[in-house]
Amino acid sequence: MGAGASVSDIGKVRLRLPASIKTGDVVRVRCLVIHPMERVERDKAGKIVDKKYRYIDKVTVTYLGRTIASFDTTQSVSENPFFAFTFKATDPGKLAVTFHDTHGETYEGTADIRFG
Amino acid sequence: MASGQGMTRRRVLATLGAAGVVTLAGVALSPRTGGAQALGQNESLEAALQRVFGGRPLRDGSATIKFDVPLIAENGAVVPVAVEVNAPMTPQSYVKHIYVVADKNRIPIVTRVALTPESGQAYMGANIRLGETGDVRAIVEQSDGTLLQVKREVKVTVGGCGG
Repeated sequence: MGAGASVSDIGKVRLRLPASIKTGDVVRVRCLVIHPMERVERDKAGKIVDKKYRYIDKVTVTYLGRTIASFDTTQSVSENPFFAFTFKATDPGKLAVTFHDTHGETYEGTADIRFG
Repeated sequence: MASGQGMTRRRVLATLGAAGVVTLAGVALSPRTGGAQALGQNESLEAALQRVFGGRPLRDGSATIKFDVPLIAENGAVVPVAVEVNAPMTPQSYVKHIYVVADKNRIPIVTRVALTPESGQAYMGANIRLGETGDVRAIVEQSDGTLLQVKREVKVTVGGCGG
């Protein structure tokens, strides 16, 4: 897996929602971000290498401007992390998933919720 | 935020250095809020559970929690897990947090999901790393503070945590 994403891909976010949503549905969303999620490194003596590891430590989900769910994550989450969650589709509007990493970068994916 | 992270790491390193290999529940438990920065630490499972839940009892949740994990994970680097809780999501009573904990990982707390009634359903999914064969737990905290847990053993063919 390690050699997966190239540097330019970091931060690409994909959101997947069902093709059609009806008012009041509880909708399951799957999302993914391309990110290395650096794991703890150890030197030959087994000591942890002291550096500022780059991994995603927070994911927030907002719908209609309100935070409806958030994930606090650690280095025990896989590279190119995948998350799934639900939300109750009450009104048309914007659903946004924001990933924050420990180097201060943020990556966002959005979807327009429409009923039809 | 940035410097806080560094402090945490340094403190963890200092503690580890001072203690050698011995796991020391007491020292590592210096009062610290359970923020995102403090969540993922190199610690034993017991220390992690004590730190996050403060010794509150974990009740058996097998009646309400549906916990999807593979029996065998060929690649410990990517193990899909999903937690679904059969519980109401109303402002009066809802599932506040879902934790995923991997007993054998050096960083046992994998993720903590904070939910709101607007989530509609208590559900989460994620891909996690598992260092070796061992139990994986889903711990659910309800809005009244009740803690429920289920655990399953996952056999890992190739570990995924490195270091």
